[in-house]
Amino acid sequence: MDTYLIPGLDGIAYGLLLAIAAAGLTLAFGAGGVLNLAHGTLIAAGGYVAATTSTGTWPSLAAAVTAATVVGAAGGGVLAAATARLRGRGHLDQALLTFGIALIGADLLTTVFGADIRRPRLPAALDTTLTIAGHPYPADRLAALTAAVIITTIGYAVLHRTRAGRLIRATVDDRHMVAGIGVNPRAVDTTVLVVSGALAGLAGALCTPILGVGPATAPTTLLLSLVIVVCGGLGSVPGAVVAAIGVGLVQTIGVITIPALAPYLLLSAMALLLLTRRRPLPGMPG
Amino acid sequence: MTRLRSRLRRGLASATAAAALLTAAACAGAPADPDAVRIGLLVSLSGTYATVGQDMQAGFRLYLDSHGGRLGGRKVDLVVGDEGDGPATAVPAAQKLLERDRVVALTGLVGGATVDKVQVLTTARKVPLLGANARPAFTSEGGKPRDLTYTWHTSYNSDEPGIAIADHVKSQVGDGAVYAIGPDYQGGWDELRGFTDTFTRLGGKLANPDGKALFTPFPATENFLPYLNKAAETKPEAVYTFYAGAAAVAFVKQYAQSDLKDVPLYAAGFLTEGSVLTAQGPAATGIRNVLNYSPTLSNAANQAFIAAWSAAGNSSPPTTFAMASYDAAAVLDRALAGVAGDVTGPKLNEAIGKVGRVTSPRGDWQFEPTEHRPVQRWYLREVRADGPVLSNVLVQDLTTLPAT
Repeated sequence: MDTYLIPGLDGIAYGLLLAIAAAGLTLAFGAGGVLNLAHGTLIAAGGYVAATTSTGTWPSLAAAVTAATVVGAAGGGVLAAATARLRGRGHLDQALLTFGIALIGADLLTTVFGADIRRPRLPAALDTTLTIAGHPYPADRLAALTAAVIITTIGYAVLHRTRAGRLIRATVDDRHMVAGIGVNPRAVDTTVLVVSGALAGLAGALCTPILGVGPATAPTTLLLSLVIVVCGGLGSVPGAVVAAIGVGLVQTIGVITIPALAPYLLLSAMALLLLTRRRPLPGMPG
Repeated sequence: MTRLRSRLRRGLASATAAAALLTAAACAGAPADPDAVRIGLLVSLSGTYATVGQDMQAGFRLYLDSHGGRLGGRKVDLVVGDEGDGPATAVPAAQKLLERDRVVALTGLVGGATVDKVQVLTTARKVPLLGANARPAFTSEGGKPRDLTYTWHTSYNSDEPGIAIADHVKSQVGDGAVYAIGPDYQGGWDELRGFTDTFTRLGGKLANPDGKALFTPFPATENFLPYLNKAAETKPEAVYTFYAGAAAVAFVKQYAQSDLKDVPLYAAGFLTEGSVLTAQGPAATGIRNVLNYSPTLSNAANQAFIAAWSAAGNSSPPTTFAMASYDAAAVLDRALAGVAGDVTGPKLNEAIGKVGRVTSPRGDWQFEPTEHRPVQRWYLREVRADGPVLSNVLVQDLTTLPAT
């Protein structure tokens, strides 16, 4: 049991960070029908902005998180404007466009920030380890875990308890009905893409102290987000959270339990889940 | 009328194309200065290993600039190609250097996979390949062992760091067991095999449950904490590892946050070499590692090298990558001095075989006569603050490899 305590905690922390990143992707697909392959690039952009803004003081850390979120939101806005004209031309056209944006964005990021992996400097209180049940655990991960729990809770409340959240969920279910009650579903699409971008930027900022940010960040996080969205059900936020925690646990407990299969474990788990799943995950549209 | 005009146009077009080709061929055929020699430097200017490639370019240029742009009395026309992330970009770039620029020697080369492919091209053209970084275990080509006549390296074999440090680690841990962990690709297998084979032959015990090194998925692993905490359960006396680049930064930072944080960490020197050390920061302090170079070596050649390196505006100490590329220029300097008349691939290659002892910042070394790689000393280094920056400070000499 003790063996799995720290990896388990770690898996949940990692999973919730991924959930924040993937929630935006699944909403953009569910509500706006936008298959956003530039999502990973927004996460990387948030990471780079955070890594260069944070200089080891609390105010700079707050500025870093804010700046990353704003940059992500701005990126989401650009994507909303770019994909608006492709409405009705199918997912392939959107995939091509957003993939192109992702390639250009990745090149721009490397040009501006270089090919090195970057990590933010954190305040001393976070750049240390705490003792949990006799094991050291990095304070920055615990802080990221706490932030992820708070953001997930707020996100849930907004989605289920506010008018805006209900509109988004309604658009996922039936955009014509939303249009019927006098709300322009395109306005909802744009909002969702901007919020999705903001969440991506925020997730990027929260991940950088732990994983760093570099040229591989965008493709890696996009792949993980897609795995989560597919496993959790397209458009389902609770499904994405459950799937993300699953991915987190596979990547921590799974790889040390069966190290020989470590490189294949995540995708085999996904294939197995998709093949055997009879019931939709909680919250997933039947 | 129309047909005539179109024929005329076609004729004009082909004439223009032919003229353009001729001009290009004339430009490429001979350097402007008849005495000048053209040398190709193929390094990663983009991709994962761009920082290593930049270091190697800086090392070569440092030698060239500090010798008036001449090697062996001849003006050097250095043509740089981008190796990128491996053979997919490197092979076309190498072909361009060999066929269009007609270089008399090719140097640089960051990755082992690149060396493996490009070596075939240079050998076919009888152009010496003077690699300054990775040297793979060359696979046989068409059933025959690789012809290494035209292949030289100023660096090392990937299994040598592990071989060099095994005896020292054994003496430190005594009867205690050592946990071995590294990345799951050719470079990782070679580096770890060098250590585990030598260490167990000396009577050392591995702490790994199955008696074999643990390999983590590469480059996918960014979170090493689960592996490290699992390793801690085997209660090792020490840990041996090899990682480079981004993975090295993540590994070192997370090692200091894991259950292993108080267990001594030994490593192949790439773990803390160059730009990664700055990114690792204080977490790297105290790591003992093995390499063929330390910027704190006290020999005269190194002091001159360090002075020139700082004077060129570099803020961090030079790396083994820069040093090996600097040495490649030094080898070419001496070899070119020994070539009479026109410089051709075969003449230059023969001259490289005759350079003898090379005075180098790493200490003097010479080429092993059949394998064409350095017989050199290996050093134990420890990461410590050296003035304002962290540096791999020399602790002691370990051994000379390959053993003669």
